[in-house]
Amino acid sequence: MRFKRRSSDRMIAGVAGGLADALGVGAPFVRAAFLTLASIWGLGLVLYVALWLYAYEEVGDGEPKHLDSTQKAGLAMCFAGAMWCFEILGWWPHPALVITVATLAFGTAALIDRAGSGTVAVLFDPGAGAAGRVRVAMGVLLVVVGVTVFATTVGPLFEANVVVMISAILITALGVALGFGPMVRRLVADLARERNERIRQEERAEMAAHLHDSVLQTLALIQRTDDLSRISMLARHQEQELRDWLFGTAPAPDADLMSTALRQAARRVEDDYQVPVDVVVVGDRPLDDPGRSLVAAASEAMVNAAKHSGAARISLYFETEDDGVSIYVTDQGKGFDAGTIPLDRRGIADSIVGRVRKVGGTATITSAPGEGTEVHLRLPVEA
Amino acid sequence: MKPRVFLVDDHRLFLSGVKAELAGAFEIVGDASDVDTAISGIRRLDPDVVLIDVHMPDGGGVAVIEAVTDTNPGVRFLALSVSDKAEDVIAMIRAGARGYVTKTIEPAELAEAIQRVHDGDAVFSPRLAGFVLDAFAGGGPVVDDDLDQLTAREKDVLRLIARGFAYKQVARKLDISIKTVETHVSSVLRKLQLSNRHELARWASKRRIV
Repeated sequence: MRFKRRSSDRMIAGVAGGLADALGVGAPFVRAAFLTLASIWGLGLVLYVALWLYAYEEVGDGEPKHLDSTQKAGLAMCFAGAMWCFEILGWWPHPALVITVATLAFGTAALIDRAGSGTVAVLFDPGAGAAGRVRVAMGVLLVVVGVTVFATTVGPLFEANVVVMISAILITALGVALGFGPMVRRLVADLARERNERIRQEERAEMAAHLHDSVLQTLALIQRTDDLSRISMLARHQEQELRDWLFGTAPAPDADLMSTALRQAARRVEDDYQVPVDVVVVGDRPLDDPGRSLVAAASEAMVNAAKHSGAARISLYFETEDDGVSIYVTDQGKGFDAGTIPLDRRGIADSIVGRVRKVGGTATITSAPGEGTEVHLRLPVEA
Repeated sequence: MKPRVFLVDDHRLFLSGVKAELAGAFEIVGDASDVDTAISGIRRLDPDVVLIDVHMPDGGGVAVIEAVTDTNPGVRFLALSVSDKAEDVIAMIRAGARGYVTKTIEPAELAEAIQRVHDGDAVFSPRLAGFVLDAFAGGGPVVDDDLDQLTAREKDVLRLIARGFAYKQVARKLDISIKTVETHVSSVLRKLQLSNRHELARWASKRRIV
């Protein structure tokens, strides 16, 4: 699985931050791991660039992972074990260098993780949890060990005064930061601006493509149509589709819900018979086999209403209750006398009733001449 | 005397279309296509009913309703929109609109709705009835205050409206008078306007509409 680079709250390219989100640990620790690996002949740098190329950039906000302390300890052991393997294989350039970088990096990470609440101040905050104190204490310990190892090994190695050497390093670092800082910051800002521009352009292109496929096609179709009812149907459909797209109310393609299936059935009837169907949904439930039978029956009822009632529109009402679901298909059309149903319509009524009975539901058809028709489908469901 | 109606919509084409449709039954005293003009126009003309679009730049219909509620307490609002979003519907009702219809409504039905709002009643489209049932039902005690609960009768009325029946048919089906249906709907409207903001927000966030 590819992980996402962070697009905000990052140091360089968001690789460490993204990896931290994917692993569920603090970003400073992942950065410390990269630094430590970097001390082994630059391995960390190579790894960073490799992951940079491999990762994709975060779009929107991903949900960071949360690990319990055992899992975090496991991750730490994995890293420590791997480092030990490197040492056994003789890959360490110099033990002192790796240990210094590792202790300083992880010590700092422990001190700055969860910046704000997790800094050294935790030690003096009576309200802070024990875990925070332990972490900060560990951080301080690690930093002290790092400085000591550096002072006792690296210093004598070069036969130099450690204090002078550290000062020289700090001054160099400060100089680099002051001298090249603005340049680097400008570069980063430029990159960010370019990226935003690219995202905007991609969005525009996507929008243009969508509008072309939908709205422009429909408008072209309307110009070539003389049939008024067809024009209004096209407009209605386009309106619904555009609204779904704009407001994000379109159901996910794999959403297996009763409401989704009913809306699709309603749109098919609108398409086939050019009669608008008003869909009102209260509550919802996953689509199972009995539910599918109910939707099919509702579909039959809508087709029936569209073909025979003469009504200008059909209402479809779906409701979930504690002990079952109900679907009402209502029209204000001419209705019929239950005793004088034409044979072909009796067939449809039977197919509605039969379909629902087979899955343990009931179908009630209420109608009178001039009074419209209502089909009530009900399916008892255990809560 | 014909009810005096003021129209607010930022789509001029739609505005002129509605004006032509309503001209016979109502006195169209004015119109506006942005929030500021609407507020000053309504304050000056003090119409009986304002037919108001939900989506407009600078705050939309809600901003207009909130601005004139104090200065012109007698004005009644009917919201009209292309939007199906529950949050828009609920926001307009909570701001004080006495009803909500979508722009696909038939001209005759629109005229009837305006008349109903003018008479002080509430106008619930099937869709609005569905939203309200959804908001007050499901997921256990969404609304805990006694005042906020819908009565069984009110739910019956809303269900029939959601099923596409006109008030007259609802009355006959429940064997009550149209006036009683109107009373129930108005009472639901009041509960919707008074109900706990927090609970409605939770319902809205559950439906991922805020």
